[in-house]
Order: sequence, then structure tokens, then C-alpha cells
Amino acid sequence: MSAQDTTSGVLSLIGLKKRFGDVVALDGTGFEVRPGRIVGFLGPNGAGKTTAMRCIFGLVRPDSGEVLWNGRPVGHGDRLCFGYMPEERGLYPKMRLREQLAYLARLSGMGRKVALEAVDAWLDRMGLGDRASSRLEELSHGNQQRVQLAASLIHDPELAVLDEPFGGLDPIGVEALAEVLRELANRGTAIVFSSHQLDLVEDVCEDVVIIDHGRVVMAGILEELRAASNHRHLSISVDGRPWVPDLPGIVQVENGRGSPRYLVARDAPIGDLLARARTVGEVTGFTFEPPRLTDLFREAVGR
Amino acid sequence: MSGLRQILLVASRDFIQRAKSRVFVVSMAVIVVVIVGLGLLLASESRRATPTYRVGVVGDVPVGFEKALGDAARSFDRRVRITDYSESAKAELALRKGRLDVAIVGGRTLMWKEAEDPQLAAIVSTAVQGLARARAIERLGLTSEQIASLLVPEPLGKRILKEPDEERTPRIVAATVSAVILYVSVLIFGQFVLLGVMEEKSSRVVEVILSRVRSRHLLAGKVTGIGVLGLVQMVIVGAVAWAVMRGVHIKGVDLSGITGRTALTMVTWYLMAYAFYSVLNAMLGATITRQEDVQGVAMIPALLLLPGYFVAMTAAASPGSSLARVFSLLPPSAPMVMPVRMAMGKVPAWEVVVAVGLLLASIYGLVRLAGHIYEGAILRVGRRVRLRDAWRAV
Repeated sequence: MSAQDTTSGVLSLIGLKKRFGDVVALDGTGFEVRPGRIVGFLGPNGAGKTTAMRCIFGLVRPDSGEVLWNGRPVGHGDRLCFGYMPEERGLYPKMRLREQLAYLARLSGMGRKVALEAVDAWLDRMGLGDRASSRLEELSHGNQQRVQLAASLIHDPELAVLDEPFGGLDPIGVEALAEVLRELANRGTAIVFSSHQLDLVEDVCEDVVIIDHGRVVMAGILEELRAASNHRHLSISVDGRPWVPDLPGIVQVENGRGSPRYLVARDAPIGDLLARARTVGEVTGFTFEPPRLTDLFREAVGR
Repeated sequence: MSGLRQILLVASRDFIQRAKSRVFVVSMAVIVVVIVGLGLLLASESRRATPTYRVGVVGDVPVGFEKALGDAARSFDRRVRITDYSESAKAELALRKGRLDVAIVGGRTLMWKEAEDPQLAAIVSTAVQGLARARAIERLGLTSEQIASLLVPEPLGKRILKEPDEERTPRIVAATVSAVILYVSVLIFGQFVLLGVMEEKSSRVVEVILSRVRSRHLLAGKVTGIGVLGLVQMVIVGAVAWAVMRGVHIKGVDLSGITGRTALTMVTWYLMAYAFYSVLNAMLGATITRQEDVQGVAMIPALLLLPGYFVAMTAAASPGSSLARVFSLLPPSAPMVMPVRMAMGKVPAWEVVVAVGLLLASIYGLVRLAGHIYEGAILRVGRRVRLRDAWRAV
């Protein structure tokens, strides 16, 4: 089920449009997910992320546009090698873990024996090996989340579509999930997940797609997007204290517990700024770097 | 991965999970206990089925009275028990206390508590008059052959125009009982489908399933799995009922006439009824998410089933009534009413064909409609989805 060559395992969404009554959910959404890449799918609430993901699985039929898998319209058979974790979590509450996961694996086309082996491997990996015969409802919330993740990946999919997979996880859970995703990507799985935790996305993803009002407003390799931005982050400390240069168009973007950060134009005269800082005192800190994902996001959605 | 394999996987999951559920196990046990209990009750009723009249005798009665009374009672399928009383007052007291049904005083007067029982009066009269007649003939001094020809006349010859239908009674019993079983079973298993669909929706697992399985396959698997369970239950219940009724020998009901063909007919009607109602239930189940909405939608199939059930129960008495005829053609009631009518006697072949045709056509239409509604409603969590909105959503 793994990618056979570099052109296989590519998911393309092209010009997806979908209206629900008066509400426009998708307005020409399009992007691509490649094997071995982790795509962060971002957007404000109601931007159309879930609808786009549901289109991949045929759960929502777009009014126009198409979803392609390896260049061909995605069919039912293709979807069996996709893994999906919906935003609304849920499995059968009264079914035992082992039979529940085996059932889902078999629905994805696995044979009974292979399915049970995969289940046992995943349960061990999730630290739930001793709970195999527990009912889902007997597990803690966090463990249910783990089972949910296992349910979407049990059949070793070529494409994993995860809607808010980090939602509700504690920091340990977050790290474990990030590890799982990196591992899958290393094995060639194409991954797309949505999230509101932008710092996290920055840590985990190579590619990002940002949508707003059903339209893709920014997409590409995260590092390239950052580098291509017209803005830069600037922070200067003089004598251990933040120093604010007098520069037209400077915007303070962060004032956390650390030193305040400012957004300036990409071609800001940093040589001059540094020279001016030196006239005030000893420069103890100076950073000038591409904007963070948070800033790109704000820039993209214009809010 | 073929759709069929997925349907079978879904069906076996639903079958196993439901079969293991407490509701099913308990209901199954209750039904079996009720049937066995009912059978034993019927059996003890039927053992007492030859009623015995208690007859009191005061004073002299003709010689041979006891035997004559017994013979007369037998011809009415009754028995008598005779008690002698030394005086009229004692017999009167026994009558008043209900220990006697009638008292014969001096071989001439019948004494009743309140009203005369015409049958008992006839039995006693037959015995008394028969003995009187025998004595009168004796006094005529005839030969024994002459006496015999007077007392035991040549029996009348008989000719029956219509061959008796040996299977008729068992067929009617089978049809009525299966109408009851069908009604209960379709109601219960239809609800299982409705709840099963709703629970998948409210637990949100349906989105996980539908990312792997086409909605119509999920629907088909669910309906099949629960339907097979219903069939298994019906077969078990039917077998227990059959065994109990055979085992206890209920008078007047000979079930040996229930043939494999009768059973097959019943199962076929059941399957069609189940298909109709389960698909309807699945469609309705897809429109709701919350437990409190169950009542509102579950009422719809229940109300559709009920009239057919009542008409089926009355159809045994009047199979040709226009009410029974109409309801035996309408798809929601045909599976209950038509088998009863068919068991009662001749139903024109075209009526059966029309009933089955209409039912199959409506099942087909319902499957199409339900598949569409199901798809449009199943992911819309929250308040009840209106059918029209669900239809438009796809």
C-alpha cells in the first residue's frame, strides 16, 4: 500500500465549490498533498476546512470541482487506502477496543488475521495493550483520543486526513502524536491535518495551506512562504532592555513575557537601525527574521 | 474490496452486537418463558375441556338411569357425575351452594339453582325419556329383534359435498399466530434499526464508517444484520411455540398439518414486512441524533403497523369483508392480513399478486427514498432533520 514511485500518492483538490443553502462553504478551494509531506491545513472557524476534508471522502459532494488521487478522480476503492479522523470524534462506545479496531481495519479491506495483528501492534504502541478487551466508554478521554487516532491509521493508509487531531490533547499527547505523524511521513504517507494551534503546525509541518471563506489564500512550503513574506520580525535589546526604533510602519505584534517583537518591512534599513541602537547603549539582543506562521496567517486572512 | 463484503461485515457486526445486548437476551428469554407458560396453561385448560355436569338424585330413579345419563352426556361431548341425596332439602342446599348443576327429584322433576341449562336439561330428558320408552316397548311383548329395530333405528346415510380441508385449522392458527409474531418482531427489530442508525449518528462513529463504506452499503448491512437476527428470533420463537403446542396436545388444534410450505410462506411475508419497515426505520433514524427525539419518529412505523394488526385479528372471522380485502392489498398491512385471509380460504390469485407486487414496488421505492434521505441526514447532527431538507441536501 505504500507509494510506488514519486508520482503516486498525490492528492489534488481542484476548484472545489460547495454551497449549503445561502452559506458558501467552499469557493474554489484547491491544493495538493504529496507523499511523505505533512500539510497543515489552516483557516479561521467556518473557513471550510471540514467541508473540504469531507469532500475527499465523498461525505460531501462538491457542487463543482474535483478531488483527484494520482491524477484520477478519487473512487471508493482509493478511499480504502485513506485514513480519516473526523473533527467530531466518535467510535462505538460499547464495543471492545480489539474488535472495534479490527472491524474498522477489515472495512478498509484488511483480512481478519492481518487486521488483528495491526490492532495489537497499534494498541501496544498507544500503551493500551492491556485494555484490548475494554469497552471504549471505559477509557479516559485521552485514551479514547488515542484509539481514535489508531482507528484512522490502523490500515496503514497512503493518505491520512486528520481534522483537528491535536484538539484536546495534553502536551505529552501532542508530542506523541507529532512523533507518529513524522514517522508516517518518513514512510511516505501523505498527511494533511487541520489545526488552530499554529505553533504546533510550525513545528510539525513542512507545507501549509491557509483558507478563508472557502478560498485558499496562501499555500506552499512554510519556509519559502516565510522567506517570501514582505515583512520581517525585528527585536532589539539595548542594555538588556527592549529598544523601539523610530521607524515608519512599524507594528508591534507580540508583547508577551519576553521582549516585544515588531513587524517591519522586509527591506527595512537594518544597518542604520543597528547603528542607531549602538548610539543609545550596548546592543544586547538583535533579531531580524522572517515572520512566524501566526503572522503569515493573520496576513493571509487579513485579520 | 467489494461492496458485498463490506455489507456482510457491517451485517455481522450489527448481528453480533445486538445479539449480545442485554435487551435482546432478556427479551428472548421472556418470550420463550411466556410461550411455554401459555402452552402449559392452554394444555391444562384443554385437559378440563370435557366439562363434567354434577347431577344430584333424590328418591328413586329408573333402573339403568346412571348408564343412560352417561350415554346421553357423551353424545353431547360431556360427562356426568351423579350424587345420591337422601332428601330433597339436602340436594337443594347443594344446588344453592353451587356444588350441583341440577337435581332430579323423584325421577320426574328437575331442580335448578337459578336458570335452566338447556343442554343439561336435554341430556337428562334424553336419559329419562329413553328409559321410559324402553320400558313401554318392553310391555308390548315384542321380540328382541323388533325391540332393537325400534330402539336403534337404521342410521342415516351421509354424503358430504365439500371435502374437508384437514390443513385449514392449523393454517389459520399458524397465520394468526404468525401475524402476532410478525407484528411484534417487525416492531422490535424495526426499532433496533432506528436506534442503531441514531446511535451511530449520535456517537459520531458514522463519519468514521462512511469514510470507508458507501452509505447505501452501511444501510444495507445494518438492515440485513438486524433482520437476520429478527429472523433467527422468529424461527426460535416459532419452533418453541410449535414444540410446545405439539408437546401439550391442545384439544382441537392439530398442528401436524403445518407444512414446510406454510412456514415458508410465513417467513416470506415476514421478510417483506421487515424490509418495508426496517428501511423506513433506518430513514427516520438518520434524521435524529438525540434520545428524546426517538419517541416522535418511532411512532410513525408503529402507527402504520397497528391497523394491519387489528384487521388481521378480525380477518380470521370475516376474511371476505371489504376491510380485510383492502388491508390485505395495502403494503403496510398486507404481510399480516393477506396470510390470514389465505389461510381462511380462497383468495383470488390476482389479489395475492397485486398485494405482493405493491409491497415489492413500495419496498423498492422506499429503499431509493431512504437511501437518499439517509445520505442527506446522517451527518447533520443536532436537532431533527426535516425529510425535505435531507432530500435536498444530497
